[in-house]
Amino acid sequence: MTTLRWQPLTTLLLSVYGLGASIYLTITHFDAKALACVSNSTFNCEKVTQSPQSEIIGIPVAMLGLAFFVPMLVLCLPAMWRTSQRWVHLARLVLSITGVGMIIYLISAELFVIKAICLWCSSVHVVTFILFVIIATASPLVLAPGYGEPESEWEPDAAVPADGELS
Amino acid sequence: MASNQKSPGTGGNTPKPKPAGGGGQSAKDKSRAASRPVAGSGGKGGGGKGPKPGGRPAAAGAKSSRTGVYIAWGAVALVIVIVAALFIVKATSSNKQDLSYTPVTAAPAQVVHDVTTIPASTWDKVGVSDTSVSKPTVLSGQPAMTIDGKTPAMLYYGAEYCPYCAAERWAMAAALARFGTWSNLQVTASSHTDVDASTHTFSFHGASLDSQYITFKAIEQYTNIPVSGSPGQYTNLQNPTKAESQILAKYSSSKYLPNGSSNGSISFPFVDINNALLFSGASYDPQILAGLSWTDISGSLSDPTNPITQAVLTTGNYMSAGICQATHGQPGSVCTSSGVQAAAKALGISAS
Repeated sequence: MTTLRWQPLTTLLLSVYGLGASIYLTITHFDAKALACVSNSTFNCEKVTQSPQSEIIGIPVAMLGLAFFVPMLVLCLPAMWRTSQRWVHLARLVLSITGVGMIIYLISAELFVIKAICLWCSSVHVVTFILFVIIATASPLVLAPGYGEPESEWEPDAAVPADGELS
Repeated sequence: MASNQKSPGTGGNTPKPKPAGGGGQSAKDKSRAASRPVAGSGGKGGGGKGPKPGGRPAAAGAKSSRTGVYIAWGAVALVIVIVAALFIVKATSSNKQDLSYTPVTAAPAQVVHDVTTIPASTWDKVGVSDTSVSKPTVLSGQPAMTIDGKTPAMLYYGAEYCPYCAAERWAMAAALARFGTWSNLQVTASSHTDVDASTHTFSFHGASLDSQYITFKAIEQYTNIPVSGSPGQYTNLQNPTKAESQILAKYSSSKYLPNGSSNGSISFPFVDINNALLFSGASYDPQILAGLSWTDISGSLSDPTNPITQAVLTTGNYMSAGICQATHGQPGSVCTSSGVQAAAKALGISAS
């Protein structure tokens, strides 16, 4: 059976970065002067983080980022990747789909409503997208029946390589 | 290789094939084995632990897994296509630049009257009650500002397109009216395409304050007229003098202003009251002025319970306290008022 190798560690590191950036953006949402960012006609973090679109039903988007990366970080722990509990893998997949849906909305808002790009936010968007790619492509494996159960000395027939004809 | 053949009907698993030693399963046999339903472990000839009873056939599982991989990569491709489409649409639409702007015109008399005659009782009722207003930066030990040979002085640096300047001007116009008389005040609106688009406001270009207490100098660096072919750029209006540039460069730096510039660039608006009180950026959110005309805004300034009044006059009281510090408490009617005293106390400065 194919096994996960680099995915758990990579997603864990990406989640750590995403969480750190979300904490920073949450702080700067409430204190714009703490924001260190390039500012010109295209890139302007303050314009984005202080815009009406920086809140959804009164909740700062940066805090929604926190609410995304905290569980994502937990779900991307190596032990969670190894578990046979199917709901863990489903939850990770659903969370990553939610995240990528959110970044599509936020990119739309930046491009067409706020008309400025926030570099810090973009870095979080990139991280969220990479997480989605890794999790989505690993999901067929981790959601397969029997994943995570103890290995035996026997493997299913399908794993036998076609290395020759039977005599 | 007979050793690799399984007993018929066992449903068990084959031992792991050895990588070397030759021989193995034929593709035909493998296919047959793979399509066989799994019956559970412990079958004849098996002995190993097999998939769960009732599990899917291996081939079906493999096919399902392959489908899952296709769906996953399809979803990834879909996301890439959507994001790429957003950027393409943006790039295409950006070519149709919005060149509209609100021209600068003489301020309606009613607007000037409303802003320059706010009752002292309203100033005092508001005080510094709007806690969402950013406090300015207090400096100490700096030389008093001299503009055109006069001191004390107050310097404003902004631009007509700038929405944060638009918000700040309402507070400045109201506060400075307590220390002198405005002439040639004009009205305009911020950029039609920037954030907080078309925020209605004054322009200080060409306006002057006649005051016996403080010298006020306003520099509107840019108009709100977009430059064709350069989105986000506006035509130049007024440059600071060399002396003003030196003041701006010095006090907008990170040495004096928390999170100030370290590369010489200055954010609009920047207000320096006698090198002792610095306002950088909007003190309150321009969003509260969204969609309101000049008369809508000025007409609300006599109501101390109105959120616009609270934001504008809280900012104005901070500015008044800074000016009072510079004028050593002159005029007393303004500087000893409870609103100004409350602002001075909040800033830790003396307004009298």
